Amino acid sequence: MRRKLVGWGFAAVAGMALGIGLLVLIVLIATTALQAAPITAMRAVAGAGISLSLRSMEVPGTREAAGYVTVAQVEAGSPAAELGLARGDALLVVGSVPVERPSQAWEAVRGAPGGRGVVLPVAWLPRAEVALGTLRATPGGVTVATPSPMAQAGGLAPGDLLLSAGSIPITGTRQAWEALAVAARTGGAPVEVKLNRAGEEIRLLWDPVRRGELRFVRDPLRAWWGFLTTLNEPRYPERAGLLPALVGSLYVVLVMAAVAFPLGIAGAVYLEEYAPTNLLTRTIEVLVANLAGTPSAVVGIIGLEVFARALGAGRSVLAGGLTLAVLILPTMVVASREALRAVPRTLREAALALGATRWETVRHHVLPYALPGILTGTILSFSRALGEAAPLLLLGAFLFVTYVPQGLGDSFTVVPLQIFEWATRPQDGFATVAAAAIVVLVTLLLLLNAVAILLRNRFGRRWAG
Amino acid sequence: MSEHVAPPVLSTRKFSLWYGSHQAVIEVDLDIAERQITAIIGPSGCGKSTLIRAFNRLNDLIPGVRTAGQILFRGEPLYGRGVDPVEVRRRIGMVFQKPNPFPKSVFENVAFGLRINGFRGDLKAKVEEALARAALLDEVKGDLHRKTGYDLSGGQQQRLCIARALAVDPEVLLMDEPCSALDPIATAKIEDLIRELASSVTVVIVTHNMQQAARVSDYTAFMLLGELVECGPTRELFTRPKDSRTEAYITGRFG
Repeated sequence: MRRKLVGWGFAAVAGMALGIGLLVLIVLIATTALQAAPITAMRAVAGAGISLSLRSMEVPGTREAAGYVTVAQVEAGSPAAELGLARGDALLVVGSVPVERPSQAWEAVRGAPGGRGVVLPVAWLPRAEVALGTLRATPGGVTVATPSPMAQAGGLAPGDLLLSAGSIPITGTRQAWEALAVAARTGGAPVEVKLNRAGEEIRLLWDPVRRGELRFVRDPLRAWWGFLTTLNEPRYPERAGLLPALVGSLYVVLVMAAVAFPLGIAGAVYLEEYAPTNLLTRTIEVLVANLAGTPSAVVGIIGLEVFARALGAGRSVLAGGLTLAVLILPTMVVASREALRAVPRTLREAALALGATRWETVRHHVLPYALPGILTGTILSFSRALGEAAPLLLLGAFLFVTYVPQGLGDSFTVVPLQIFEWATRPQDGFATVAAAAIVVLVTLLLLLNAVAILLRNRFGRRWAG
Repeated sequence: MSEHVAPPVLSTRKFSLWYGSHQAVIEVDLDIAERQITAIIGPSGCGKSTLIRAFNRLNDLIPGVRTAGQILFRGEPLYGRGVDPVEVRRRIGMVFQKPNPFPKSVFENVAFGLRINGFRGDLKAKVEEALARAALLDEVKGDLHRKTGYDLSGGQQQRLCIARALAVDPEVLLMDEPCSALDPIATAKIEDLIRELASSVTVVIVTHNMQQAARVSDYTAFMLLGELVECGPTRELFTRPKDSRTEAYITGRFG
């Protein structure tokens, strides 16, 4: 009975450990995927041709600020440009939702019923010079200098003193347009504009809002593909691209692999096959094992001092790759030694007894036999390096990189750093983009580990026979 | 041993060997006759495997091994300065207790020794010749390249190991309990093979199977606790042992 209980207890603990691991992975993937989901709508808005940014206006007489969304960029030739949207316009309504922040516009596109493509009504206030014309600050307040044709059509005349829009007092030349935008969004059009014309107060009912319909294409595949393959536009999350970071990661990992792979295997082969057992080699073994546990940030400082400064590599791909190589070298040596140690002694003896030298034995029999194990360890260390941010941050890798590095001497960023940069941005949408980048990174890591397993199985089958 | 006409191929002179502080071989004097089969018998742990591994310097690889005395190989000291153990192992081949083919094709198993020794000539013919000498060719001829060493049966694997050792034309073939992992039928085949080989190569076989020693060998040496107790022609040693310990062992009173 007692023995059975021990067995059950063990099974429970083991099951818990594995369950927690699995749960963490599932929760990680599920939450990041959920977080990243709005990227489809974000890129649909960007795809219609507009980038949005959040502005705010202090409401005079209160301590509150009212937010509004301006069109920060319009792509030439896009549907939005054809509709007449221009840089500086205030986006007021998407679908039936008044938008106070960019995320509300994306949510409106995301939540609109319909399939992949969806046509939504949009309303916007043209930029100040189109909607109002030139205003001038005078001692009495804000005066209309030259009204735009649109303002004239609405009833404004030169010399009018603007008092309020909706219920918002007008206190500044720029603020007059902002007040109009906020009033139009909250109270709807037409907006009641109070003005003083030649000493007489006039109430004007004016509808400065333009309306139209925009087609948004909500295509997750296109959104993710665009995210992966476009250059980064650091100001607008809906145009954020992972390409520079992906290519940066690839280059850095390639440099690291080119350095760490041969060195790691050579070190392991020396320690395992050649080194005499004496104080020196034992010291080296202890040092290597300790180095494997060095915090990655410390390795980053080594990279900064040695590669970036002393060797003059700067904040380049080369310095980054070398730093990561230093980081994974001990792990690689330890893993490769484990694999070499698993090679049966009889195999070595068989080769040596035929008159093979040590090197021939290693080259023809020991290394091929140990290769699956070495590769597994190698790929696991590579995937660790791929996820490292700290050493490269200390090295001084750039966070804003909007171009693809072309060579060893170029500055770079990597995916984990890009995630870090996006995750720390307060603006709408960057959390989504960071989550999307996490999804990409985790997928990459899982793929690498799958490759490791595949390699092991493939070679394992070939050898075991 | 007055019967010897030719000088011995290998002879040990007060040869001792230590693993760290443990002395595994104690001042052994033994001659191995050319183109004869010499069996070394004795109970487990008597130092017979250690001695045979000393003949091709495989013990060099074990840390903490020390030797004293000498082993002469055709009159030259085996452990002398300037002797390359790699060259020694090419001339003195070895077959191990457990079959240990390389995880490669049958052909590559046999060809490896030839390749590393810079063999110039018809590789295929040489490989087939070695396989034929090991009585394996007929069984694997069709798939020299298709089958790996691991695809063969245990007995075939051991004959593959023998072929591999024979391919480089060693002068001496050391066999360390070559049949201990095999069934009786495979064992019988290997024993026949050893008898045939004796016409072209000197064989030293370690075994703890006295019947096997009696069946295959021309000379037998009996070791006990690291010492060589007695050595002589097999028939004599088994019928008229000079030492009482030998008699006790072959009559089964211990071991």
